[in-house]
Amino acid sequence: MALVIRRLEEHDEVENFDCGDDALNNYLKRHAWTNQQKSSIGVSYVALDEDAPRTVLGYFTLAMASVPRDAFPKKYVRGLPPYDLPLILLARLAVDRRFTGRGLGHALISEALRISLRVADEVGCRSIITDAYRDRVSWYARYGFVPVEGAAVTGPQRMFLDVRTVRAALQR
Amino acid sequence: MALKTRKKRIEVPAISPRRKTKFQADLAPAEDRAMRLLKEELQLSSNTDFLSDAVALFRWAVSERKLGHRIISESASGERKVLLFPRLERVAPDLVLPRVDIKWTGRELESLARLVSAGEANRPTDALIRAMRD
Repeated sequence: MALVIRRLEEHDEVENFDCGDDALNNYLKRHAWTNQQKSSIGVSYVALDEDAPRTVLGYFTLAMASVPRDAFPKKYVRGLPPYDLPLILLARLAVDRRFTGRGLGHALISEALRISLRVADEVGCRSIITDAYRDRVSWYARYGFVPVEGAAVTGPQRMFLDVRTVRAALQR
Repeated sequence: MALKTRKKRIEVPAISPRRKTKFQADLAPAEDRAMRLLKEELQLSSNTDFLSDAVALFRWAVSERKLGHRIISESASGERKVLLFPRLERVAPDLVLPRVDIKWTGRELESLARLVSAGEANRPTDALIRAMRD
């Protein structure tokens, strides 16, 4: 299987996508294209087999976010740059369950991090954030994401990856 | 009176001949066969000419994708195929990410501030190094 990862296009086949999670399936089927093309809420990238270049096997969604400087607790503001803090949000990442175990997740996060680096180089950004399902925390940790403390115990775990760490990996 | 002028010796830098770079590749038998066949089809006798043409083609493809152009082949009947080449997609300028708002708790912001203001970033993990190499 020769894998291609590119931006989601209008006529990509998403209806049969099933990663086993309704929210992630539904986002791809109902919202990803609209959010990307019309609402500019997130850009989705899809993994496809070269032999069936419309059938989506996996996807991730990226967006920019920022934290206003004055939102930080006062005692920490001194160590931060005097601007709002720009972040890249890895909003979603999912693989169709019929194609798990073939390295698609690795290929997707690899591409997501490459794009993040390029975005960071172009517009300036210090870190990548994701909200990981609790059972996926260790998977993200393998790529260097560290938990942000203070998340609700039941919800997703917010995780942080420093762009400098990603850049260092590229230079190894 | 004749004026003596001091002759200034000017060192002319030796013009070094352009150095050529040697290129060596380990090809799997199938790739070797494919390359020989291509050379034959293109009537190229040397590997140097083959590589030079391949680089020229690749440079063109990269420059087109960098401009956001898609590379398409069209058959006589009008059927179109879009070239999808993962490494080329990496240079495509589809990089404008939209902005969203994220909600943070006070403790998350404290934690984020500590992580962001760390003097040194964490060292990359093995999986991350592999991800950036692949």
